[in-house]
Amino acid sequence: MQQIDPVIRVKDLVVSFGDFRAVDGVSFDVQRGEIFGFLGANGAGKTTTIRTICGILNPSSGTVEVDGKDVSSSTAVLKPRIGYMSQKFTLYPDLTVRENLHFAGSLYAMSPQAIAQRSHKLMEFIGLREDLPDPVSHLSGGVKQMAALASSLLHDPELVFLDEPTAGTSPQTRASFWALIRRLAQLGKTIFVTTHYMDEAEYCGRIALMERGKIVAMGTPGELKKEFFPVKPLELSFTKPVEQPLRAALEKAGIASAVFGARLRVRAPDRAAFEQAAAPFRDGFLARETEPTLEDVFLQAVSGRKAV
Amino acid sequence: MPALRAAVEQVSKKMGRTQALKRVDASFAAGQVHGIIGPNGAGKTTLMRLLAGLLHPDTGSVSYFQGNQLVSAEAAKRVTGYFPQEPSLYPDLTCEEHLEFFRDLYDLPQADFIRRSEELLQATGMTPFKDRPAGKLSGGMYKKLGLMCVLLNRPQLLLLDEPTVGVDPVSRQELWDLVYSFAGENMTVILSTSYMDEAGRCACVHVLSGGEMLASGAPQEVTARFGVHDFSEIFLNHAAN
Amino acid sequence: MTFSWRRARSVALKEYKHILRDPFTLLVTLVLPLVFVGFFGFVIDLDYKHMRVYVRDNDQTSVSRRFLQEAASSGYFDLHPVHGQFQLDQALERNDSPALLVIRPGFGRHIRAGDAEHPGEVQLLADGTDNVQASIMGSYMQGVVQKANAVFARDNPALADAAGAGDRIRSRFLFNPELNSRWFIVPALSTIIIGFLAIVLTALTVAKEWENGSMELLLSTPVRPAEIVLGKLVPYFLLTFFDVLVVFVLAIYVFKIPFLGSFLFYVAACWVYITGALALGLVISVVTRQQQAAIQFAFAVGLLPSFIFSGFIFPIENMPAFFQYFTALFPQRWFLLISRTVFLSDAAPATLATALAAIGVFAGAMILLAVHKFKTDVEP
Repeated sequence: MQQIDPVIRVKDLVVSFGDFRAVDGVSFDVQRGEIFGFLGANGAGKTTTIRTICGILNPSSGTVEVDGKDVSSSTAVLKPRIGYMSQKFTLYPDLTVRENLHFAGSLYAMSPQAIAQRSHKLMEFIGLREDLPDPVSHLSGGVKQMAALASSLLHDPELVFLDEPTAGTSPQTRASFWALIRRLAQLGKTIFVTTHYMDEAEYCGRIALMERGKIVAMGTPGELKKEFFPVKPLELSFTKPVEQPLRAALEKAGIASAVFGARLRVRAPDRAAFEQAAAPFRDGFLARETEPTLEDVFLQAVSGRKAV
Repeated sequence: MPALRAAVEQVSKKMGRTQALKRVDASFAAGQVHGIIGPNGAGKTTLMRLLAGLLHPDTGSVSYFQGNQLVSAEAAKRVTGYFPQEPSLYPDLTCEEHLEFFRDLYDLPQADFIRRSEELLQATGMTPFKDRPAGKLSGGMYKKLGLMCVLLNRPQLLLLDEPTVGVDPVSRQELWDLVYSFAGENMTVILSTSYMDEAGRCACVHVLSGGEMLASGAPQEVTARFGVHDFSEIFLNHAAN
Repeated sequence: MTFSWRRARSVALKEYKHILRDPFTLLVTLVLPLVFVGFFGFVIDLDYKHMRVYVRDNDQTSVSRRFLQEAASSGYFDLHPVHGQFQLDQALERNDSPALLVIRPGFGRHIRAGDAEHPGEVQLLADGTDNVQASIMGSYMQGVVQKANAVFARDNPALADAAGAGDRIRSRFLFNPELNSRWFIVPALSTIIIGFLAIVLTALTVAKEWENGSMELLLSTPVRPAEIVLGKLVPYFLLTFFDVLVVFVLAIYVFKIPFLGSFLFYVAACWVYITGALALGLVISVVTRQQQAAIQFAFAVGLLPSFIFSGFIFPIENMPAFFQYFTALFPQRWFLLISRTVFLSDAAPATLATALAAIGVFAGAMILLAVHKFKTDVEP
């Protein structure tokens, strides 16, 4: 997948607001037809990066290229090729879906016929009724989300940015949303999506973990798990009340653990060190290996970076 | 002071035109970490506010117990700490000023205050940020400050509405650690979350969807009962039916 | 749970910090009184002096000259004699003068004769496009006429009877004999400033807590409505009282307005009035829970009545009977009365008992209402 057909090429990007470096030296490429996930907390620099790639913020230093063109100098050419679904504003709540789509289309100077044709196709693709009579504010969260997606796809962009498209929505909305995103990618669209749901990131082709303006890990979910967890994490369940002293002992040995209800999850890359620290309590718990989650990866990536 | 147990019986509550809760039953055993799991709009915040005494049920009842002793709503409110989901601190006041403000609101003796605030600042790692205004804290630190404010009073029932939303995984881990370090015989913790993957971190989960309580119990128990792998599937199956 | 001074104090302390850290609030409270005083004290000068008046003396006697001398010495008029029709036409075409004073022929003769049937006549032709100035000019000229009457009567005692009782100077401006509008306006300004500023300040504070989300957290603590209300009143009380003192000092030392009444009584009345206005702001805030709605309400019940129903612009006694009673509902009216009386007369405080009682009742009612309306839950 290396450098086959990069649509987005970001190099040494820095975006500062006053003294604050929102994006602090970020480099990555996104290939055509890829679902690229951008993960991190609020304020990690995700939205700032997206805005820079869309050409609505200028880099303080570094370069951002879309299709080989520098973004800041060719905004006008690139804008029609980009679709953007923002996390805050999506649709006008007092207009119907159709009215919203017509407005969105007119912003791209599409003819009424073209809009009608395209929205018909899109709604079919998404599986929504085209002629919902209610204003958007009366629609359920899931339908709203789908309509917003349709609105950002209306002008048939090649590159689609989705900024936390599923924040707070129900699992069923998220499932159908991601099914659509996958189909879009199969059609050759490049999808750039941000989320802070770690479980959702599993659906992405490749992900970048961002923290305090820096990318701390990047790769496919599988790669990342292998990279950070050559040894799988452990899940301990207890047969004797040794949880507290065990945790204390692990902490002393520098091994991170987290309480999961009645169980304890231990990221223990160094199994020997774990066995040594846990030895005095060995008869009080059962340990089994579990699959690492992307959350584990994030924690490991950040703590690893801090340790170095 | 032993932890409170809370019981919600057949509670219905309408918020505006939406029926936010529909005959909800739930029991929150003392001393445990309870998670109310559900997507946005499931009724989590309404349930939290009912438990905090900030809303009153249309029908049904919310009651509190200490051991087997019934505790009045007013008395329970005095020993309940609640940190809302929405930002609710004063952006222009520093961490220390927040703590002092809550010290007075809770009428704490100065000696207790010094001991507890030192302890909390230590536990949260917030000591270096004592003089920073709340408006300039990161998401994780903001939540920690809120947690400190309500923990000053050593509540016997701690209610946290979506404490981990929008918080980076590291701070989230720290928040969970904090919650577990305080829960126990002196404190019951009820928190809500829309992150399905956090369900497994709770000792007891209460699955809320569309204002209905689908299930309560230990996470593994609940997933086993539904015959599913993770909590998302419960909601997916529920929606399909 | 009982009322806790400690909690009320901590709310006050917190509010005090908000004020110190919000340059806008502080700026408004410190600059607003200066703007008001400057605007009403200096810019809007309702006194007209040295008004240009063309004079056509068709009598040309010592009596007419004596009259014109009287008119000139009043200081209100700058007299410019015109001679002949041509000059008069020129003056009128120049359109730079609001008035023409014409002394009719035989003026001196009629005065000397002292015949009530045939008095001496002067004619004032004023430019009606500025009707305020025209009417002021008319009343000033009336004053000149009366004064001249008195002078002529003194010069010629035989005329005294003929002048008649109706010509006596009326005593309407007894406490402001110089008809100085500043004396009237500046003492009234504290009424306006408190009535507006105090209401707006507190109207924002509770609504802000609702919008900020902090109210939800606050309500989950043991704090009680009365404690929040008191805690919010105190800092703004001090701020507003500071403004009153600023206006007071400016009135006395810059505008040289006499202060004849009891200072202690004035301060006490200020306190009561400020408390009422602040509490009204809190009621608005507690009920609306939104800053934008609160500010609109505050303008409606703060600014408008302060100007319109207080007697500041329109004298109460000139209002229709219904409005005279209606204005009694507004504390602004009562405080304005107190303020003007205490500045310009040494009337005993007892004469203002009704006014003080009225603002006291208002303040008490507002505090009770604010506490009563204060919600202790987040029900919509």
